Amino acid sequence: MKRFASGLLVWALGLGLALGLPGSAWKGAAPPTFPWAALGPAVLAVGALALLAPWLAWRGGPGLATRRSLALLEAPPDLLWAGLLLALWPAAWGPPGTSAWLLAFLVASLPGEVRWLAQAMPAEHPFPQAWGRLAVQQVRRTVLLRLWGRWLAARLPIWLTATLVLERVLGIPGLGTDWMTRVAGRDRAGLAVWVLLLALLWAASQRWERESA
Amino acid sequence: MRNLLLTLCVLFAPLLAQAQVVEESLPRDPGPLNFIQGDSYEQWILQSLAGDALVGIRADGRVVPRLATAWMVQKDGTITFTLRPDARYTDGSQVTAEDVAWTLQELRRDPKASPTKRAILDGAEVGIEQGRPWIRTPKPAGRLLLELARIPIAQKGHPERGSGPFSFRKEPGAWVFLRREHFLKPRIDGIRFRLLPDQASVMTALQKGWLSIGAPAPRRQNEVPATHRLVTQPMHAQLVVWSRQGVGPLQWLERWRKDAFPPQLLGQNARPSRGLWPETLGFEVQTIEAGTPVPKGTGAFQLLYGAGEESIEKLLLALRERARRDGFDLQLTPLEQGLLAERLQKGEFQLACSAVVFDPHPWAVLEYLEPKGPMNFTGWKQPRLAALVARIQQPGDLAWRDLQLLWGQSPAALPILDFQSVIWVAKQLQVEPSPLGLYLSTPGAAGWRWNK
Repeated sequence: MKRFASGLLVWALGLGLALGLPGSAWKGAAPPTFPWAALGPAVLAVGALALLAPWLAWRGGPGLATRRSLALLEAPPDLLWAGLLLALWPAAWGPPGTSAWLLAFLVASLPGEVRWLAQAMPAEHPFPQAWGRLAVQQVRRTVLLRLWGRWLAARLPIWLTATLVLERVLGIPGLGTDWMTRVAGRDRAGLAVWVLLLALLWAASQRWERESA
Repeated sequence: MRNLLLTLCVLFAPLLAQAQVVEESLPRDPGPLNFIQGDSYEQWILQSLAGDALVGIRADGRVVPRLATAWMVQKDGTITFTLRPDARYTDGSQVTAEDVAWTLQELRRDPKASPTKRAILDGAEVGIEQGRPWIRTPKPAGRLLLELARIPIAQKGHPERGSGPFSFRKEPGAWVFLRREHFLKPRIDGIRFRLLPDQASVMTALQKGWLSIGAPAPRRQNEVPATHRLVTQPMHAQLVVWSRQGVGPLQWLERWRKDAFPPQLLGQNARPSRGLWPETLGFEVQTIEAGTPVPKGTGAFQLLYGAGEESIEKLLLALRERARRDGFDLQLTPLEQGLLAERLQKGEFQLACSAVVFDPHPWAVLEYLEPKGPMNFTGWKQPRLAALVARIQQPGDLAWRDLQLLWGQSPAALPILDFQSVIWVAKQLQVEPSPLGLYLSTPGAAGWRWNK
């Protein structure tokens, strides 16, 4: 309960910062409209990440946390992946669209997220490895199901913000850009709604995390 | 064989048709097309394509007919418009005086309406007489006409529907405009805008042939690909420095701006300003006539500026070096744009600079002078101002010169750079450059054509 209260306090501080953001817009520009069209691709991208990362972690187990190749893939920022995709995209195909953006998003985010999940998994040697493959998979499944909510709540805000780079480079309107536009236009109410939504997600993840009796 | 050719023609016909669509980019999401609430540079572009104002502004700055074929100015400043009979909305219905009155009244009534348009219609009365719309405001008719060119008319009850030369269709990640039957007789099939906020991505898209028009990065303007050509347009935009330290620092800046900026640093995007107000708005070059000599001695000035624009930062560094030669320490302090705007509005600065885009008429400079002007950050006032402003009726009036002389005696702001827009345009595409940009003048994009 104490941890929940301190978490709430942090979110309240975030809300206060959003509402009290200093500065003002040049000549009182109107706040931007919400990019509803970006919601579908964002849900698709986050949904794909939310399913693929745990699945890969389930397949690879905690050993992925120390896999050097994964760490190498995690190192480059999403700017590099977006730039690379744009540079290599054949001119004759026309500009890359949402599917290319989704691909760049997954390439940029998956290695890091898989490693995040793998690091949080308990060691498997000697047990449950000694009990056989089925037991290992059962343990991984249980662990990942417990981790899933907390992982999503912790990482979603980061990835929604990070998509800003991909959106800018690939020219796909998205939710990350919406953040930046609201900060630039000093739309304090809009930012507060964002913070509230993310706080709700966090609060919900705290419920999922509770031990069952 | 003939059948095969016919089949190929049918198959490739959509591709051929698509080739006639101009591919463009937008730096920011303009939001949904809305003639009442939409208010951003990108939204103005959308509205200029999908809508018609009562009057238009030609590339040379003159007012020309658009929805109205004629207008009559009465002694009390009331302007009565005669609407053209062949103007129609996308649903086929005719543009009527009721639509004009509704649009103007809705802009005044709706609290979420575009602040720019609301400011234009401040104190306006609107009505219909004998089937003709009329408008009266405290502003001179010459100014009102130029400002009305920025208010496209929407269909009554449909703020998203205009009568412009192109019909609008929103596609995922793109804003598409297609040619329609219109009195301006557009000659290109359409324009497709994609969102490309990153300048490096615009460069890549231009070089890969995905864009017909685009602004290259300042450093690479001259590397024009074989498919494009370089087009420069003057802009009603300047980099302006405000002073709360009196006219002294501005007198020094007036001297430094002449030789501070090396041509290779300026590129084609900017050139040193020469006067006090934009020459593109028709003002003659005027120097500061403070009646006092340039203050002597050394000193330090703190200059606030908006962080993030690399080219501006380099130019300001050059200005700092020039100031150093005269024994002055110009302390450059970058601030995030929103924080800079707040410091300007609160008057918490010694010197502060920002890029300013002026409305396309000379009255735009009154924002510096009027007591509640949005650019009067220093509380500048002069008892003779009201009388002088009252004498101004038209853009070329002599009173403008007197007003500029008055400002020149104790200016609160000085432009140091005049901006130009530099773009790459596909070689086959014929466009008409203007200080308003490619879209906002009349006929704007309706006058473009593909060279055979």
